Formats: sequence, structure tokens, C-alpha cells
Amino acid sequence: MNQARHLSLALGAVAAVLFAVGCQDAASPPGNITAGVTPPPKGGGPCANFRLTGGGRVDQRDHLGYAKSTPESHDFATFGFQARPSSKCPPTDGSGNLEWNEHNPAEFGGGFAFHGRVTFFTTPTDETAADGRCGRFGGFGRLNTRNNGTLEDVSFEVNHACDVAEPGVGNDHIKITIGTVYTRHGILSGGNIQQHRLTGNN
Amino acid sequence: MTTKFLVALTLLAGAVQAQTVTGKAFGTYVNAPGVTSQSPIATLPSTGGMATGQADAFGVAGAVDAQALNAVTTGVADNKKSGAQSTSELEQVSAAGGAITADVVTAVATAYFGQFTGGSDGEGSGFANLVVNGQTITTEVAPNTQVDLPGVGYAILNEQLQTGNGLTSYGITVNMIHVVLQDALGLTTGEIIIGSASSSVAR
Repeated sequence: MNQARHLSLALGAVAAVLFAVGCQDAASPPGNITAGVTPPPKGGGPCANFRLTGGGRVDQRDHLGYAKSTPESHDFATFGFQARPSSKCPPTDGSGNLEWNEHNPAEFGGGFAFHGRVTFFTTPTDETAADGRCGRFGGFGRLNTRNNGTLEDVSFEVNHACDVAEPGVGNDHIKITIGTVYTRHGILSGGNIQQHRLTGNN
Repeated sequence: MTTKFLVALTLLAGAVQAQTVTGKAFGTYVNAPGVTSQSPIATLPSTGGMATGQADAFGVAGAVDAQALNAVTTGVADNKKSGAQSTSELEQVSAAGGAITADVVTAVATAYFGQFTGGSDGEGSGFANLVVNGQTITTEVAPNTQVDLPGVGYAILNEQLQTGNGLTSYGITVNMIHVVLQDALGLTTGEIIIGSASSSVAR
């Protein structure tokens, strides 16, 4: 079992290198995904007293508006997530799930679907650290590329997910980093992100 | 003025009332003579949270072929703020014997309550490389655009169906491709739905 797992990880690492070589012109910088080797950042951030849910679509990079990209470019991502901190903090453990679908063929693997499991949750440590509307979470997941590659135990971090206002379109924004090969940061062109107080298990 | 006051009053009252959310998304549904089939459905638990429904591929001969079906719905009901957001995506879609094709079909349905606002929308929904009856559609498809499909029936593209009373409840269903199958007499014989997402909130 362990041997099979190690083989899988080794193949994943090789695949990551191959994909990275094939993506020199990708929007994200090329690099290797450290499958199952490097743990995601954990701790180092303040405890959060809220949870987040969200879903929708991101097209434009950074904060350059929220218009949809041209259809032929396929330059957009869709997502859905729920994330919350553990009942006691510290430690900054968290739970939840994330789905992220990148459609841009110039991105890693010709685009991919990522299925992540949340293991930590804090307030942000980046430029949104002082914004109480934002949260940060991350963990590990499985990445299936459009080029038929699968990588297991890939680390990810939602550097910030911000519930700026209702509706979420044109207001809320999110930044995600997957492994070392992908990042997308933008204002929602569809959907919503909501910050909720902590109650129960949902 | 009076209406605005009533709306504000209702929303204020709602802020301390229990709220509910629903969410649902799926890739394809086919109800045609001799066949009823549906791809995995994502249904938001009544307590909120997240649900997914995925399939690598889905096909019903002559009706629909699609790959990479991915349906996700998330949401939470809270006293102060509630929301549900559902997405359905498919790739390499072919419907109604190839009368409609698209590289990517994306449906996004969002419903929300803030402390003093509420609403629902289908923003973010769209097609990539949509072709209908051999014609490439390069512009955004307006909600509820109807097109004839000779020998098949007709289709409603980017179908958006608002639900709720607009005061204490909001909701929307987005069906990106809704084919209504008709016989030679124009009688409805079935339907095909591709890229469906629904979300609603109520207090």
C-alpha cells in the first residue's frame, strides 16, 4: 500500500516536472508541485472567529474589474468551498472542502479540476490582514489536469477570501495558490462569498 | 415610500428570524421517449454546507454527450446573513444530435440575504464556443433566448427562472440549455436540460 503510494507520488512529481516544462508560457510561473512532501502553511496566522462559504466564478486577474473573459479565451475559474476553524484555537486547525476548476488551457496541465480538503483556517496574513471581512484557509487535495494527469496530496492555500458586500459579484474577491505552479486572484464575476459566525458544525 | 418602509421593516424583522437556504446543481437531465437519465446531483443539506455531483462523462445517444461534469452547491443559513451559491459546469457538450454544441457550459445561481438586502442572480453563467444550428454564437447569450431546432423542437438558452416573493424570499434557477422536444405536430414529447443550477434563501 505504502509502496503504491510512494510510486504514485513519484509519478506525480515526474508529471509535475513534465507539465511545468510544457507550460513555459502559462499565466502562472512554471514549477514543481510538491506532492505530499511539503506540508501547507499552518499556524502563523491569527485565530478566526468566523467561517466562510462561497462559490462562483473569477475571470479578471487581480483587481482589474470583474467582467467575464472572452468565451474563446477560456480564461476563467469556477469554485465552491466551505471552511471553518476548529472549535479551539490555537492550534489553527480547520475543516471543510474546496472545489476549484481552472479552464484556461495556458494554465498548469492545460487547465485542471482541484478537489481540496481544508486542514487549517486563520485570518489572512497577506495584504488583507487588517480586513475583518477576509479569511484564509488551506490544506491538501487532488489535482486532475485536462491533460489527463492526476496529482495527489497537493497543497493549496486560499490566501484570502473576502466577503466585501452583497451581492458578491463585483465586490467579493479571492486569491488561491495551488502548489507552486498556480495562483489566481480576482473579483467575483459570478457567485458570492459569505462570512458567518460560528455556530454548530455547519 | 410606504413600500420602502415595509421592505425595511420586513428585513429588520427577518434579521432575527430563522432563515433557510436551498441549493441544487446538476450537469444533465434527459426525459425523452424511452429514456430518463440524469447525471449526479449536488443538493445542499438543509443545514447548509457543501455538496458536489461529478462525473467524467455522460451520454444519452442522440440527446446529449458531455465531459467533465462538475456540480457544486454551498451555503449557510444564518440569522444575520444567508446565502446559497450553486454552479454546474460541463465540457465538450453536444445536445440534440449536435444541433447545439459548446466547449464549456457554465451555470451559476446565487441567492443571498445580507442584513438589509437580498437578491438572486445568474451572473457568471455563460458559454464558451457555443454553436447553434451550425452558427457560432460569439456574443453573450441574453437570458431566456429561444431558438428553433428544426426537426427537434426548440431550445431556451441561458434560461433564468426567478423564484421567491422578492421580499422575504429570493431564488433563481439557471438552465443553460433547455431543449424542448416536439413531434411533427408540435406536441411536447420530452426535454433535455444541460447545465442547471438553483439557489434560494428565505426568512
